[in-house]
Amino acid sequence: MSEGLAIRIEGLGKVFDGRIRALSGIDLEVREREFLVVLGLSGSGKSTLLRCINRLIDPTEGRIWIFGEEITAAKGAQLRRLRRQIAMIFQQFNIVRRHSAVTNVLSGTLGRASLLPSLFLKFPQSEQERAVAALERVGLGGRERHRADTLSGGQQQRVAIARALLQEPKLILADEPVASLDPALRHSVMRHIEALNKDEGLTVVCSLHDVDLVRRYATRVVALRDGHLVWQGRPHDLNRDTYKEIYGTEAEPATNATI
Amino acid sequence: MPRGNELIRSSQRFEKNIARLQALAADAILIGTFGLMIEFLVVVFSCRRGPTGLLITSEEALGVLHYAWMAAGAVILAFAWNLFASWIGASPGRALIRGVPEWEREIDWTHTLRGWFTVLFIEMTFFSGWLITEVDLPSFFTKFSKASNIVHGLVHPSGAVLHQGLVLLVQTVFLAFMATAFAIPPAFALSFAAARNLTRSNRFSRLMYTAVRTGMNFTRAVEPLVWALIFISWVGIGPFAGVLALWVHSIAALTKLYSESVESIDPGPVEAITATGAGTLQILRYGVVPQIIPPYLSFTIYRWDINVRMSTIIGFVGGGGIGYILKPRVDLGEWGQVGTLVLLIAVTVWLMDLISAKIRERIV
Repeated sequence: MSEGLAIRIEGLGKVFDGRIRALSGIDLEVREREFLVVLGLSGSGKSTLLRCINRLIDPTEGRIWIFGEEITAAKGAQLRRLRRQIAMIFQQFNIVRRHSAVTNVLSGTLGRASLLPSLFLKFPQSEQERAVAALERVGLGGRERHRADTLSGGQQQRVAIARALLQEPKLILADEPVASLDPALRHSVMRHIEALNKDEGLTVVCSLHDVDLVRRYATRVVALRDGHLVWQGRPHDLNRDTYKEIYGTEAEPATNATI
Repeated sequence: MPRGNELIRSSQRFEKNIARLQALAADAILIGTFGLMIEFLVVVFSCRRGPTGLLITSEEALGVLHYAWMAAGAVILAFAWNLFASWIGASPGRALIRGVPEWEREIDWTHTLRGWFTVLFIEMTFFSGWLITEVDLPSFFTKFSKASNIVHGLVHPSGAVLHQGLVLLVQTVFLAFMATAFAIPPAFALSFAAARNLTRSNRFSRLMYTAVRTGMNFTRAVEPLVWALIFISWVGIGPFAGVLALWVHSIAALTKLYSESVESIDPGPVEAITATGAGTLQILRYGVVPQIIPPYLSFTIYRWDINVRMSTIIGFVGGGGIGYILKPRVDLGEWGQVGTLVLLIAVTVWLMDLISAKIRERIV
């Protein structure tokens, strides 16, 4: 395994229920500190690809290595230890709505927390202080005790980013992190993810729809179509022709303006 | 991994064959029931005047039907229908289990054998049901006077049992409460094992799911009255036997209701907590439990409400509570006192219903 490789994927494929093929023959390498954006239509396999990387979905074919360790072969404690290095941010935020903001952030530490206190929502003082600091960092200082479902969509996603921060990961998977937010709020969330990449040196793999955002944040782009990897390149290589190749001719008129 | 794909294909074939068998079984049951209902109607109408001039009872008519022959015939007909489905259209069992094939969906029901079978089946069910339950409208409309003294007693409650009734009513409410309270911990623990969405991961959890579901369905199928009889011989007559009887039944009922609310949770938080590297218990605590607390509370209060109603019947056989003094009054024909007790139960049930509805409204 070569040094500096965050993710290595070989011949990855996924078939759901023995019928629906979501991914086939994906070969991909992601270097450390990259901000890799995955493009593609809904249903092209972006979410499945991201979820195969941390084994929220078990692939049916192929192998994946995380920092040189094969996660596709990992089980039990080893799998949980590998997952601890991979934080995930979701389109629907997926925070616990009935818990406070700070408890949500603290749940990022569950991979290393001691079991019994964590079942009673108890965390060490040091972790609590770090959680408060993380909330401050994403601009939610003073909202620690607010119940998560009283926060707005953008704030909820920032709680999710703080949760990812507390996990102390080496890799961030972000599945359409801004797709359910107001266009005006998208940059504020993306900038926090960018900061994790630039300041903390974390590797980011992020699926996106909006080409403007891709150009602004990505260091490299790959595109999926019908479960196949159809294109990879630099963000500024994205032009009308590559765009057609990724999204098909039918999608062109609706997205013309952004190209 | 070609081996994986082969496994998938063979499991698909296996599932399809299972579905075929299920459709065949459903057809056999439907056709068999249909045949038996026709035979029943023929028997009843041909024996309308027996040698003594008496009508045949429904029990007697049901007793002379040719069950084994009908079952055999039904299996053969079910086979035939599925074999010739491309000529005569899909069978009702196929429609129920696997859905009708694409090309048949547009056809109007009056143009399919399945459609006519269904309509005739429903009509037959109603007619045979009428005769089997011996519906007797003339008696219903002309013989009210026979029951008038009971109704008179019920609307003229006597004060003689008011005090004892109230005391036992308190016992009834607490009996129902204790049965519910004792049922919460086991039902809570079992509900995770009985939820489909949490038990897909490995063979052991799937086995546990099947075991818990089967056990609970069986427990729920046994009437609380029967549980009461068991516990009365176990711990003796009295309210504790009633608590135990309702407890067992409540565990089964709550497990089912709880596990259904586990099945309807948003999978998002579960994914998110799993992704942090959390263990199974932590995933349950953070991803599942916060989402199910409101429905759990609501179902628990609802169950308490049901247990209050059920404890009356439990009391009839010696399980304590107000039912215990209701039974002898019924046997003695003390309709005024029965009226008092029935009124007390009705008011309590009505109040419980009202309060539990209010609380559930608040929580959800």
